[in-house]
Amino acid sequence: MSIIQISHLYHRFADGTQALDDVTLTFNEGEFTVIAGANGSGKTTLLRHINGLLFSESGTVAVCGKSVKGDPFAARQQVGMVFQDADSQIVGETVYDDVAFGPENLSLERQQINQRVNHALAAVDLSGFENKMPHHLSGGEKRRLAIAGVLAMAPRVLMMDEPFSNLDYPATCRVLEYIRNLHKNGHTIIITTHDLEKVIAHAQRLVIMVQGSVVEDGIPADVIDGIERYGIRPPCSVQLGQGIRPWVN
Amino acid sequence: MGELTAIGFRPGQSLLHRLDPRTKQALLMGLSVAGLWENLTFLVLCTVVMMLCVNDAGLHIRRLILEIRYFFFFLCLVFGVRAITFTGGWTPTLRADVAGEALTVCWRLLLVVIMGVLLMATTRTADIRAALVWYLKPIPLVDEKMAATMLGLVVRFLPVILFQGAEIADAQRARGIERRKNPLIRLMRFTIPLFRRVFISADELAAAMQARCYNEQRTFPELSFTWRDGLAIGVGILTSSTVLLP
Ligand SMILES: Nc1ncnc2c1ncn2[C@@H]1O[C@H](COP(=O)(O)OP(=O)(O)OP(=O)(O)O)[C@@H](O)[C@H]1O
Ligand SMILES: [Mg+2]
Repeated sequence: MSIIQISHLYHRFADGTQALDDVTLTFNEGEFTVIAGANGSGKTTLLRHINGLLFSESGTVAVCGKSVKGDPFAARQQVGMVFQDADSQIVGETVYDDVAFGPENLSLERQQINQRVNHALAAVDLSGFENKMPHHLSGGEKRRLAIAGVLAMAPRVLMMDEPFSNLDYPATCRVLEYIRNLHKNGHTIIITTHDLEKVIAHAQRLVIMVQGSVVEDGIPADVIDGIERYGIRPPCSVQLGQGIRPWVN
Repeated sequence: MGELTAIGFRPGQSLLHRLDPRTKQALLMGLSVAGLWENLTFLVLCTVVMMLCVNDAGLHIRRLILEIRYFFFFLCLVFGVRAITFTGGWTPTLRADVAGEALTVCWRLLLVVIMGVLLMATTRTADIRAALVWYLKPIPLVDEKMAATMLGLVVRFLPVILFQGAEIADAQRARGIERRKNPLIRLMRFTIPLFRRVFISADELAAAMQARCYNEQRTFPELSFTWRDGLAIGVGILTSSTVLLP
């Protein structure tokens, strides 16, 4: 069943940059998709449309059959977004406040909020950090906090913009692990990246963007050949002729 | 950045931690006003109560003094202005009775600051905010929820601005801004990028809040009065009433 439908979406910024150029994509429930593209290819802009942070001048975006433009609030509830820069996503003064921010906006009961916060913090291994100030966390912890903040809203779709930037090896493994678990639990996952190495082995679908257009869309094994021509580095295992291999065991 | 966060919330289970934030704010206001009488009995009693609270809340006096050390410079200034008089020529003189008065003023100010630190150290910002909403509710023409959001944003944003300011200053020093002698140019070079970055961060923060469904109809922290609050108010009234003693 499809959960997100985008059809003939265009986006032009005020300075004339054509960031999205006739994008048509459908995402199915429970699918794990990687959207890859060079810097400036329009990945972040696309995610912002799905989340109702940007609106189209022409073309439509629908989440669960409802137009995002018509009801952005409903779309944001279904689709959680982890921003490219975790710092700019932190809203609360303490870790607890930050994770509780979303559920509070949904006007849930305090007891239910506490339950969700505990759950989300446990899911990213941040239990016990409730009273810490987000700005004192390390880069990897901040990213995990950002994920917890989105998880606490219980969205059906999780979009992550470059989730592995600025993370060291153990932190990358952890975030990767969480993403895989979420997918196993039935979440729809959309990840953007310009570095396929880490995630591609777990994805079911690979979408390539170039200058605001979708140029390839299919199962990773089919799309990955000759991917250099789009400005994306193929994973090492592919370069060595071994096909797609998991980045960690 | 560290300076700002030093006087922050410390989790705990002391009496002050368990009081309702509204009680704490009312006590802070009430005792500060009572201090205006500058009654010695009250000041002594209040100081004793505060020291007990500081101890109970698990703060160390030495840490406390260290955290408000800049305030002591201010107190010295206040004392100097109040106590030192220039009689006749240009020789400063210190008169005992005036000095005594000045000392009381400083004492009172110090007490208010210590109470403020106690409030901050034992109350989550979210609770302080919820209490503020409660107090602002009966006042007409004030949108209390908006006021609370604004307060929260200031708390959230100040460290970011200071941090970015420090970063810009460092980045410019690394590129030799010190060789520019004109302070006006240096100021411009500093403030323009700072403002730009602060605006960009504000934009991103707004997007992040929107992405998580921000709206005015939110769940606020639950506040409830208990017998402890009654007790604390009682102690506060008793302490304040000593201003009537000679
Ligand atoms: N607010 C804006 N105003 C003008 N142009 C913008 C704005 N935001 C993005 N752009 C431009 O739109 C294009 C697409 O940007 P976008 O951020 O979507 O790229 P991206 O694929 O996410 O890149 P990256 O890998 O660097 O994150 C870029 O050319 C960028 O310069
Ligand atoms: Mg991007």
